[in-house]
Amino acid sequence: MQYQMNEFLFAMILTELEDAVGKENCSTRAIDKVTHSVDYYWLSRMWADRGCRMPEADFVVCPENAQEVSKVVKIANYYKLPVTTWGAGGGTQGGAIPVAGGIILDTKRMNKIYDVNTEGMYIECGTGAIYKHIEWAANEVGKATMHYPSSLTCSTVGGFLAHRGIGVVSTKYGKIDDMVLKMEVVLPNGDIIETSPAPKHAAGPDLNQIFIGSEGTLGIITKAQLRIYDQPEERRFRGFLFQDMSGAFKASRELLQKFKPSVMRLYDEAETASLIKKIVGVERKGAFMNVAIEGVKELVEVEEKILLETFKKYGAEDLGSEYGEKWWKEKITFFYPGHMMDIPQMFGTMDTIAPYDKIEEIYWAMKKAIETNFPQAKFIAHFSHWYEWGAMLYDRFIIEGKDVPQDPVEALRLHQAVWSCGVRAALAHGGVVNDHHGVGIKLGRLMKEQYGPAMQVFEGLKKTLDPNGIMNPFKLGL
Amino acid sequence: MIMSEKSKQHVDSCRFCWMCHHICPVGNATGQERNTARARALGISLVNREAIDLSEIMDNIFECCTCGACVHDCVTGWDPVMFTKETRLQGALEGKLPEYIMTLVTNCLECGNAYGKTELCEKLCASIGAHADKKDTLLFLGVDARYMACEQADKAIKVLEKAGIDFSVLENEPASGVQLDFLIGAAGETKAQMEECAKVLSQYKTVVVYDPNDAKAIKQLYKEYGIEVAANVVTYTSFVAGLLKNGALSAKNCGKCVVFQDPYQLSRDLGETEEAREIVRAYANLEEMLLNRAETVWAGNILMAQYMPDTVKRVAKRRIFNAQSIGKNAIVTACVSEYVSLKNASEDVEILSIEDLILG
Repeated sequence: MQYQMNEFLFAMILTELEDAVGKENCSTRAIDKVTHSVDYYWLSRMWADRGCRMPEADFVVCPENAQEVSKVVKIANYYKLPVTTWGAGGGTQGGAIPVAGGIILDTKRMNKIYDVNTEGMYIECGTGAIYKHIEWAANEVGKATMHYPSSLTCSTVGGFLAHRGIGVVSTKYGKIDDMVLKMEVVLPNGDIIETSPAPKHAAGPDLNQIFIGSEGTLGIITKAQLRIYDQPEERRFRGFLFQDMSGAFKASRELLQKFKPSVMRLYDEAETASLIKKIVGVERKGAFMNVAIEGVKELVEVEEKILLETFKKYGAEDLGSEYGEKWWKEKITFFYPGHMMDIPQMFGTMDTIAPYDKIEEIYWAMKKAIETNFPQAKFIAHFSHWYEWGAMLYDRFIIEGKDVPQDPVEALRLHQAVWSCGVRAALAHGGVVNDHHGVGIKLGRLMKEQYGPAMQVFEGLKKTLDPNGIMNPFKLGL
Repeated sequence: MIMSEKSKQHVDSCRFCWMCHHICPVGNATGQERNTARARALGISLVNREAIDLSEIMDNIFECCTCGACVHDCVTGWDPVMFTKETRLQGALEGKLPEYIMTLVTNCLECGNAYGKTELCEKLCASIGAHADKKDTLLFLGVDARYMACEQADKAIKVLEKAGIDFSVLENEPASGVQLDFLIGAAGETKAQMEECAKVLSQYKTVVVYDPNDAKAIKQLYKEYGIEVAANVVTYTSFVAGLLKNGALSAKNCGKCVVFQDPYQLSRDLGETEEAREIVRAYANLEEMLLNRAETVWAGNILMAQYMPDTVKRVAKRRIFNAQSIGKNAIVTACVSEYVSLKNASEDVEILSIEDLILG
C-alpha cells in the first residue's frame, strides 16, 4: 500500500468488502486479526510467545466462492491493498502471515464438496475444505485420497496445493500435484479461470503446475478436482536395519526400478539410535528403514518377495512388521503437543530433494554445516519420499530452550542464521530450497540463490498477473 | 488474568497446535479460524501476556459449545473446554461478559433458566399436575424441555405413563445449574444452584434425567463441584431401554430407516452409546452416519441459539448433511436441545425424538 489508510478510507473499504462477502464474513475484530497473524511458522509462534503482536491484517474476509473472491481482489486492486490467502494456518514457512497488512482472505467457507465421483475417480471440492473431510467423503464411498501428511487434520486442500504438499504414502501415489486433475483459480485481476479439463495434456504448459506451489502470489485457487483411489486390499510393513545409509540408498534405488512401495522411510544414525532400541530392545548402530507395500493382495505378495530379496543383497537385516504397523497407527500422534518439538525449543525442518548421486552428499554437507556453525543444535534426519531417480531429505535442527535467546529479535536472528546456513549447504551440493513445505517469508531470500536468472520466469509471471503486487507480498521471494 | 496453572499449561500447548482443527462443529459450520481450540488458546495466551485485553476475546470464548470434540480428539490429553470455561468465569469476575451473555446469566439467577421464562405451557402444566404426588421415582425434565420444548417434555411423561411407571414430576423443578456452568463456569452462584438442586433430588430413590445436558451435570459435574446426590440418577435413555428389556414397553418396528444423533453428553461424557440404539432398533431400522458414538458431532442447542442463532442453524444443517450423504432422511435424537436445533434447520429431513418413536 502506497498510502496511510485513514479512518474514513478504512470505513469506505470495509463497506465495500462487506458488500462483497456479507457483513458477517468480514471482520476487523481483534480476535480475528490476532488469530490470522500466527501460523505454524516458528518465528510467528515465538513472537507471540514473547507477548508481541505479529503483523496483522486490517480486514479478515471469508468469501464463499470464486465470485466473491473475485470481488475482493478487485477491491484490493483498486485500493492497492495486499491480499494474503489463509487456509487453516498450518504452514511452517510463514506463507499465510499478512506481513504487509491489508486483507486476509480466509478460504474455509469455500469448503463445499461438490462431487464424489467414483466413475471419474475424483472429488471436486472448494479449496477451503479441510483435507481430512475430503478423506471422510472418500471413505464413505469406499475410496481413499491417499494424501496423508501429518497435517491431514490441520490443513485445507488449498493449503496443500499452494505449498505443493506431500503425504506419507507418496512413493506410490505421488505428491499433491500428482493428485490434482483440474482447478478453478481467481487471478489477481479478478478473472475466474479453469486450468484445463484434464492434466497430462499437450495443449501447452500445464496451468495446474503454474499455480501449484505459488503460495497465493499469482492467484487464489478456489476449487479443485482431486484423485481418489481404491482402498488397498492389503498393506504390509517391514522394518530393516542397514549397516549404513549408503547401502540403504543403493538397495532402495534398485527396488524402485522394480516397483513402488507406498511408504519408505530411512532414518539417519542419530534417529536410528533413538528408534532401534524401541524396536529390538537393544541399542544398535546403523540406518533403520521402514517400508510399506500395498494394493492388490497377489501383487503385494510378489512385491514383498522382491523387497526381501533386494534388501538382503545389500546386507539389510529384516526386523519384521511390528514397528511399521505401530508407526502407521500412530503416524499423526507424533505431531501432538508433548510428542513434538515445541517452544521454548527452536526447531525447523529443512526438507530438500535431489537425485541419488547427490542426496547423501547433501545430507552430510547439511549436517556438517549445522553442527559446525551451531554446536548448540542437534541435527537429525530421515528420507521419506522416494522416486526412481532420487529421494527427499527431511532434516531437522533442534536447539534446546536454554540456548534460545529470550529477546525476540535475537531469537529471530539466530533462527534466520541457522536456516540460511542449512539451506545454502543444500543448494551448494545440488539440493533445492524446499521439498514440500514451501517457501513463504522464511525462505524467500534464498530463492534467487537457487534459481539465479531463472527467477525472472517467476518474476515475469508475477508482473504480468499481479502488476500491483498485491498478492501475498514478500512471499516466495517475489 | 487469573487462571489455574493447569489451564495455563493447556493454553500454552494448544495455542500452537492445529491437530483438532477439523473437528470443531462450530468452526466447521462457520469456516471461521477463530472457532478453533488453537485460536481460543492463542487469544487467552496473549491476554495472559498482556498483549490483548480480555474483553477483546470474550465474544469468541462464548462461541465454543463446550462439546469436547477437541478434548476427545487430543492424543496428548489437553482440554480446551477447561480453559474456555475458566476464561468465562474470569470474564464474569472481571465484569467483562458481553451484554447478551449477562442477560442470560441474570435470567438464570432470577428465573432459574437462561430464557427468563416463568410460565409453563398449559398442556405441560396439566401433565405435570397429574404426577404431583411424591413417589420413589422422579422424572427431571430440565429447563430446555419445560420452557422451550414443552411438547417433548409432555411426550417424555407420556412414555413413562405408557410403561406404567409410578413417578413424580416437580411443578417447581429446581435448575440443575448446567446453564450457569456453561455461562460462567465454576462460580459460587453455579455451585449454589447445583447444591439446591441436589438437595431436592436427594429426596427420591431414583431420578430419571430427561435432558442429557442435565444428566451430565448431575452425574458428572456435581462430583467435580464436590456435590453429592443421594438418589440413584439415571439417564432417560437408559431408563427407557430398561423398560423395553423388562417388557414394560413393547415395541413394534415401523420399518423406517433412521440414523441416530448421539448427544455428546451421553456418548462422550457419560460413556452411554448403546442404550438409545437399543430403543431405536426396537422401533426402526438404524444405520450409522459419519462420526457416531464418542466421535459424535454436536448438532446445536437452544441456549446458544439465543445469541448466535445463524451459527447454530449452520451447525445443525451440517449434521443433517451427514445423514443425507448416506441417503437417510430421518434422524433420531435423544437430546431435546438438539431435537429443537435440528428441527429448526431441517427442510427435507424428518427429525424424531426417542419419544416420537415410542409413542408413534
